[in-house]
Amino acid sequence: MFIERLLNQGNAPLLERTLEFTAARHKLIAENVVNVDTPGYQQKDMSLEKFQAMLRNRVEARRNAAPGAASFADIDGELENPERGILFHDGNNRSMEQLMSDQAKNALLHNMVVELLKKQYSAMENALRERVT
Amino acid sequence: MFDVLDMGASGLQAQRTRMDTIAGNIVNANTTRNAQGQPIPYRRRFVLFAPGQAGSPDKPGVRVQEIKLDQSPFQKRHEPGHPDADADGYVKYPNIDLAMEYVNALEASRAYEANVTMMEVSKQMLSASLRLIA
Repeated sequence: MFIERLLNQGNAPLLERTLEFTAARHKLIAENVVNVDTPGYQQKDMSLEKFQAMLRNRVEARRNAAPGAASFADIDGELENPERGILFHDGNNRSMEQLMSDQAKNALLHNMVVELLKKQYSAMENALRERVT
Repeated sequence: MFDVLDMGASGLQAQRTRMDTIAGNIVNANTTRNAQGQPIPYRRRFVLFAPGQAGSPDKPGVRVQEIKLDQSPFQKRHEPGHPDADADGYVKYPNIDLAMEYVNALEASRAYEANVTMMEVSKQMLSASLRLIA
């Protein structure tokens, strides 16, 4: 209970959800890359902006809620088929450049979030040990 | 998250099969007889990709669904001295356009590279996540 409260305050749950999101989005981008030559394949993606907007709304809600009442567990990215790039004759709307830039941005975000979480965990560890390592 | 790597592997496998097919087309670009020695030229082969991994199509990935024979007409060249020439002196050559095969090979190798890149990024992201625990 105490540990759970400790882990669910501040931006830790936000980071955790973002990590889930980047992992899921990476999977979708990899699927798009793998199917870059598959006829009729429609690109899949999740919007980072929409996801962050959902998080933002929940943070607003948390401010007015009782401590520990607001949970971020139900926030997830939404699968969508973005209309971008041109539709090729084989029915595939690939855009390798877009995929590679999405992939790079997503991986950077993932690594950044991992670093931030690591910082938080080590800070928590320090607090628990009551001495700085 | 680990199955991202399986997905990448399915892409590599599919693109390599495509490359094998293209290599088969290129080496047989001038083959005027079939394996039995009959004067039937080699038909161009091409791969058909479908989403879903080979063996388990419900998993995300890609697979070679079929290797099809290109039914477009054979090229005819006027070579009266050729042993496979018909009564009018025309020899049927495979329906293979080398330029097209080269372009396809280039595309396959680029797609292969893209999959390798994705797998490397996946590995790096995975190890970053794993370092959270350690």
